[in-house]
Amino acid sequence: MSEITVFTAKKIITMNAPMPEATAVAVRDGRIVEVGTLDTLKPWLDAHPHSIDNRFAGHVLMPGFIDPHLHPTLGATLLPCHFITAMEWVLPDRTCAPVTSHEAYLARLAEVVANEGADEEIVVTWGFHRIWHGNVDREALNAISATKPIFVWQRSFHEIIANDAAIAWMGTAREDLERHPQIDLASGRFFETGLAVAVQAMNKVLLAPQRYMKGLELVKRTVHLGGHTTIGELAYPLMNDQLEWQVLSMTMGAKDTPFRTKMVPRALQRGNFEGSPEEDVRRVAEYAERSTEKMFFGNNIKLFTDGGFFAELMQMRGPGFIDGHHGEWLMAPEAFETYARAFWLAGKQIHVHCTGDMGLELALDVLQKLQDEKPRFNHRFTIEHFGVSNPEQVQRIKDLGAIVSANVYYVHELGEAYWQKSIGYERASQMARLGSLERAGVKFALHSDFTMAPAMPLNSAWVAVNRIAESGAVLCPEECISVEAAMRAITIDAAYVLGMEDEVGSIRAGKKADFTVLEQDPFAVDPTALRDIPIWGTVFEGTPFPIAS
Amino acid sequence: MTPRIPVTVLSGYLGSGKTTIVNRRLAEPGPLRLAVLVNDFGAVNVDARLIEAADSPVVELANGCVCCSIGDDLGAALDAVAALPQPPDHVLLEASGVADPARIAMTVGYWPGFRLDAIVVAADAETVRKRAQDKYVGNLVRQQLASADLIALTKTDLLYEHQADDLQAWLALVAPRARLVETQFGNIPNALLIGQASPSPTAPGYHGSHADIFVTATLNPETPVNLPRLKAALDALPETVHRVKGLVEDAESGETVLVQSVGARHEITPAPGLAPTGLVLIAPRPTASLDAAVEALSRACTEPAD
Ligand SMILES: [Zn+2]
Repeated sequence: MSEITVFTAKKIITMNAPMPEATAVAVRDGRIVEVGTLDTLKPWLDAHPHSIDNRFAGHVLMPGFIDPHLHPTLGATLLPCHFITAMEWVLPDRTCAPVTSHEAYLARLAEVVANEGADEEIVVTWGFHRIWHGNVDREALNAISATKPIFVWQRSFHEIIANDAAIAWMGTAREDLERHPQIDLASGRFFETGLAVAVQAMNKVLLAPQRYMKGLELVKRTVHLGGHTTIGELAYPLMNDQLEWQVLSMTMGAKDTPFRTKMVPRALQRGNFEGSPEEDVRRVAEYAERSTEKMFFGNNIKLFTDGGFFAELMQMRGPGFIDGHHGEWLMAPEAFETYARAFWLAGKQIHVHCTGDMGLELALDVLQKLQDEKPRFNHRFTIEHFGVSNPEQVQRIKDLGAIVSANVYYVHELGEAYWQKSIGYERASQMARLGSLERAGVKFALHSDFTMAPAMPLNSAWVAVNRIAESGAVLCPEECISVEAAMRAITIDAAYVLGMEDEVGSIRAGKKADFTVLEQDPFAVDPTALRDIPIWGTVFEGTPFPIAS
Repeated sequence: MTPRIPVTVLSGYLGSGKTTIVNRRLAEPGPLRLAVLVNDFGAVNVDARLIEAADSPVVELANGCVCCSIGDDLGAALDAVAALPQPPDHVLLEASGVADPARIAMTVGYWPGFRLDAIVVAADAETVRKRAQDKYVGNLVRQQLASADLIALTKTDLLYEHQADDLQAWLALVAPRARLVETQFGNIPNALLIGQASPSPTAPGYHGSHADIFVTATLNPETPVNLPRLKAALDALPETVHRVKGLVEDAESGETVLVQSVGARHEITPAPGLAPTGLVLIAPRPTASLDAAVEALSRACTEPAD
């Protein structure tokens, strides 16, 4: 057994109700021995060899932050791209200053092509947005380079603009591009189904193993930068089990990684003609033997109801969308029920991606049936994302024993856009209704679904507490939550959502010695400054990991 | 350039009989080299033994990212099919039961190297109207039917005559563009499903087969064809004609053009260098109106422009 290390701190916020605050925590072999004061720790310290580490004397310790839903592979494809964005993005290897005019956009892109991108086969940039950057078209990109293929990826991934060199690089017959109604070669725009043609060509670069690996290293640092010590990969695999497992093991699974990843498999894997739920229950069970300390499977599985929230493909109950379009189902409702039943009977914790109030309705209708057929306590059926809902559904969530993992960032980025263009003020302002959950006593976590939102738990907490939209307006203050609830939602309640509350999520004797080290106390700062609290770094299983500056 | 490979999109919600149609195609392959892409999972699966026995490639599409096109499997599968040493003559794509076939058709129909043949939507005659009212999938089912060029109506034998009439009247409202084909046990002749019927160089005439499930008529215009008139005539064809296909000479350019018409969808594309073969009309069962159709098309083809 190793020596005990005692970390002292200005304040330790334990998120453990019986002893909410402390100033010293004793750690041995990666676990917490005892938390309290140097005085109350005395019996342990008198009995065992120890050292006192005062490096956090000016800091605030919290339980290591937990993001129960993100997608490393998705992040790995985006992070190696060049960010030119209207908002500042702080990334592990660079800080991207805001670029907010047409001229500045083209100037920055020219810089990227001349410098960072000079050695790349193609330059792919992400973050373009017409509102800020005006009309960037093929000619404008040709003026930057006649020889370097340039792909400009729009901020919400719905459009790509390419220069002549990029169009030639794709290697697609010109007449095939010309006849496509959703490709406009004159302006260099690929959109809707035309977008897939460009992305398919770019995939050979975006998904090349070396770039994927480099991307995952960046994801790793991003996760650390946010102050996380535990994350959930919430739909494994994204595409290809063999490749993904190998590369994830080499990066996220490496010894120096300062966090652990709970792998939550998709309940249903296609591509092998084995479309039976029994087969999938078996496949999921077989993953368990791969588990390591850093990457492991548990009792959780992932299912989907309706389409993506950013893509406006959530299924909405009446009156639906302003423009009359319909959302989509990611799996047929009957198939959802069949798979949910198979995994319910197998005793699994089922996480369901639900974005619209109709998607949520389906999840709750099926949960009701399953409870009628085979009642379960402590099943933790989890509503993931929780975009649009109504107050009565909150009561049903509670009555059926379900819990929620929410992407509250929707309110900040999409609240006003969906108010104006998608579903109107009443429903848009109330998206991610966490205040109702808090009042009803339903447990919930906050997640980023990275890359859908920045992987910054304090940023998510800031949105949940203040509901400040992009313009600065506050949307539906009635659905704001307390700082206490927000802090639980990124620590102990997030652990609960992942079924790991016995190991992580609070600071108490016996748990993993995971801490997030803050420069300020989230309970003491003005709530509107929550996201600005600097993070020193983390302690993962007793070892400090400062954020490299 | 090499000709684009036609893709028939086979759509339909769960229980519509769509997979049975795919299984039947695999069990009874025609002379065409057909690649089958499967994108569904449901109560009925594509029969694995048939897949093994089939000499045509059968691919099941895998998951991609639900939020963006990264790792999208449909495009990758089409590219792989086109890159085969011996590319297929035709692709049959079984769309996911929850897919919007119009969107899928847009993706595959304009995918480099491919073109859309038709959107065929399967519907269970007994249950489709109830499905179309479903809380969760009613919108989707109606949207699928509305996108159809052909509706493959299964289990019509279980309906009384007045029910069948009601159903047809209802479908005419929900899917005004679509032609109807009745099928039993997934049995749709290739001629109707994928338009596989080679134009015969002989004189016009009927060729019945498949126990009179469908008939074809061939039309050989003696002079070059006035395309605007032909288009107008195709638009005016009776609902009993499901497909028209073949090569004719364009009176204006003197070049050969490929005529492909499925239901209300017509496409006339240049096919320089190919010899005109005439047009084949395909209809589901012997019908007097095929005569009238041949007559009308024939007039449109030969009359000079105003
Ligand atoms: Zn997700």
